[in-house]
Amino acid sequence: MSVRTMLTDSKLVPKNIKLAGGNDALTVRWSDGHSSAYPYRYLRDKCPCATCGGHGLPKQASSPFPMFGVAPLKPERAELVGRYAVQIHWNDRHSSGIYSFDYLRQICPCPECGAMREEAARVEGA
Amino acid sequence: MPSRITAEEILNALRAVQDPDLDRDIVSLGFVKDLEVSNHLVSFTLELGSPACPVKAQMVETAKQAVKALGVSEVHVKLTFQVSSGRGPKSSLIPDVKNTIAVASGKGGVGKSTVAANLAVALQRAGAKVGLMDTAVYGPSVPVLMGGSEQPKVVEGKIEPPVAYGVKMISMAYFLPKEEAVIWRGPMLHKTVQQFLGDVRWRELDYLLMDLPPGTGDIQLSLSQSIPLTGAVIVSTPQDLALTVASKAIAMFQKLKVPILGVVENMSYYVCPSCGHRADIFGHGGAREASNKLGFPFLGEIPLDVEIRINSDAGRPVALDSSTPQGRAFQDVAAALAAQICVVNFQTEETISLE
Repeated sequence: MSVRTMLTDSKLVPKNIKLAGGNDALTVRWSDGHSSAYPYRYLRDKCPCATCGGHGLPKQASSPFPMFGVAPLKPERAELVGRYAVQIHWNDRHSSGIYSFDYLRQICPCPECGAMREEAARVEGA
Repeated sequence: MPSRITAEEILNALRAVQDPDLDRDIVSLGFVKDLEVSNHLVSFTLELGSPACPVKAQMVETAKQAVKALGVSEVHVKLTFQVSSGRGPKSSLIPDVKNTIAVASGKGGVGKSTVAANLAVALQRAGAKVGLMDTAVYGPSVPVLMGGSEQPKVVEGKIEPPVAYGVKMISMAYFLPKEEAVIWRGPMLHKTVQQFLGDVRWRELDYLLMDLPPGTGDIQLSLSQSIPLTGAVIVSTPQDLALTVASKAIAMFQKLKVPILGVVENMSYYVCPSCGHRADIFGHGGAREASNKLGFPFLGEIPLDVEIRINSDAGRPVALDSSTPQGRAFQDVAAALAAQICVVNFQTEETISLE
């Protein structure tokens, strides 16, 4: 099995998704036993919707009333989409991002998955 | 007969009987119900997961023999079915529908609608509660194929679907005069799909078949996002061109994690009604080869047959009559499909929990 297919195994699905997984992160426990923790800021920067286009948003939206500050960015709720994805509703009302399970696994920030991505890029580049 | 034979012993004997599709024994599958043991008589109900199991008679016979081998003189087996439903997430739009099946293709004109209508009729004939949703909004054809003059009614703000041959149906054709066309962009299609699911009173159904338009566009995506589909059936003609495009549809469903229930080869061959000569107009066996190569079940072949065309245009699906070879071909495919649905339902992982 190539590294690429390992990253997008069609049978690989989350068993459990926790919006408030602790440490300001969303956590996913996968059917193969792997666990992923996505810090909210990271997850939002990786929003796959057409408007965000993977470019991320300005680091912090400014409040018109600076004395009240800006509420820290976090997901308010989420819904499963069909059999393949999860849609996240953020507290700044952004909700057009549909994170497919394959995509979520591909962007897992853990060092192990990071190394696998580097390996995949190396193989592809060679 | 031994003086006291226990229910335990009988269940142990029945563990030797396998369901060939699920590859497990009928006791661990929970198919054996209402077991009663009296002096010389053992009776139980065998509750299968599909109404059209092709080997049900054999299974009953094997089960009887297994019990008789214990020294029981008389064994009564009642055969019933309870269509299984996946353990995956339930849709709030159609909570009482057990299985949702997309009938899809890559290319147009391969006979999706004809196959969908006939499979619906065949499953209904086998005893299941069936619905047929025509999601081909631009080119609806279900009302023509299924006949009937009944129109949908609106009762208490919900659409009551018309019924033909025991199958509940909905189609865009009911909402527009014949000569008018639907000229819409994507968001309208999405809304229609949602309404066909949530605003139609489907009530309890074992199978809701969805006739899809060709391709991998708005309707397919809306449907796959709106509900957790049980699976998809791919219809293709045997020719390379159709199979090449069908593989696009397969790729889409795999991306959306919708299980492929199998491939149907339509217009598989032509037998001349006057001389009996057989011509493989689009080639033959291409879909079987492709599904074997990709590792999907092959559900069967439907011939290119003028009877199918005539009956389709007349609103009398050939699957109504199992005494004809055309009708039997569809019933065999329906049985294979029902078995695959059962298999997928047993394989599905438990629900994803979201906290």
